[in-house]
Amino acid sequence: MSEDVNTNQVCISIPSRMEWLSIIDKVVEGVVELLDLDEDNANAIAISVVEAGTNAIQHGNQFDESQLVEFCFSLDPDNLQVIVHDQGPGFDVEKVLSSDPTTPESLLAPRGRGIFIMRSLMDDVQFRIEEGEGCWAVLTKSRQPSE
Amino acid sequence: MKASKRLEGGVTVLSLSGKLMGGPDADVIRDLIKESLEGESKNILVDLGDVSWVNSTGLGILIASHVTVTNGGGSIKLSRVSKRIHQIFMVTKLHTVFETFETKEEALASFA
Repeated sequence: MSEDVNTNQVCISIPSRMEWLSIIDKVVEGVVELLDLDEDNANAIAISVVEAGTNAIQHGNQFDESQLVEFCFSLDPDNLQVIVHDQGPGFDVEKVLSSDPTTPESLLAPRGRGIFIMRSLMDDVQFRIEEGEGCWAVLTKSRQPSE
Repeated sequence: MKASKRLEGGVTVLSLSGKLMGGPDADVIRDLIKESLEGESKNILVDLGDVSWVNSTGLGILIASHVTVTNGGGSIKLSRVSKRIHQIFMVTKLHTVFETFETKEEALASFA
């Protein structure tokens, strides 16, 4: 007897090296081809998934190449959902969500833009942190055209 | 990422290609900019026409370059910014920091 398979989901894991994000970018390109999105929305998904991967590698797994980052892309009639899971301890979500890198005093800061970019370009971004299990970033984009 | 540097009309043109995503990319660009500021030109054009994408770490490299050049009394501009990279600039308001041009020629002329 076969196990239940989610036929609307694709998952891929990469070691914690920035170079492998090129593979993820190609996967995103394939996934967005399945959606009827304009270029801006397709770019928004690609940019956001790369950012989530960058955070997972850099801050989550802290470049430990033995730690994997898993990306799962799920399609339903209304949404594309991308879950990015790293093995790290997580972060202070409230603190990061309350920061705005576009203020005059932050504009030239060298870092601190990743989550802001994701939240600006996706319809919803949530984080789940479980001690010893890692951090999940859940990115959602509606398949319906924007108003 | 690959980077090359040449002097064109008194402006150092830094041509980048591939993906700008931090790590060793930062050292390469910092060294090329330092060389330019110390001997060649304080006016620097970063040509992004062959850069397929930039992540937030790569943005940090561009910002650090801007700060270094500006503090050194020079000027840094960007040319051939892809739609995808421009989208990130708009979201992060970095389009207010970097002067960008559609072509390298327009950018070079702007330094005159």
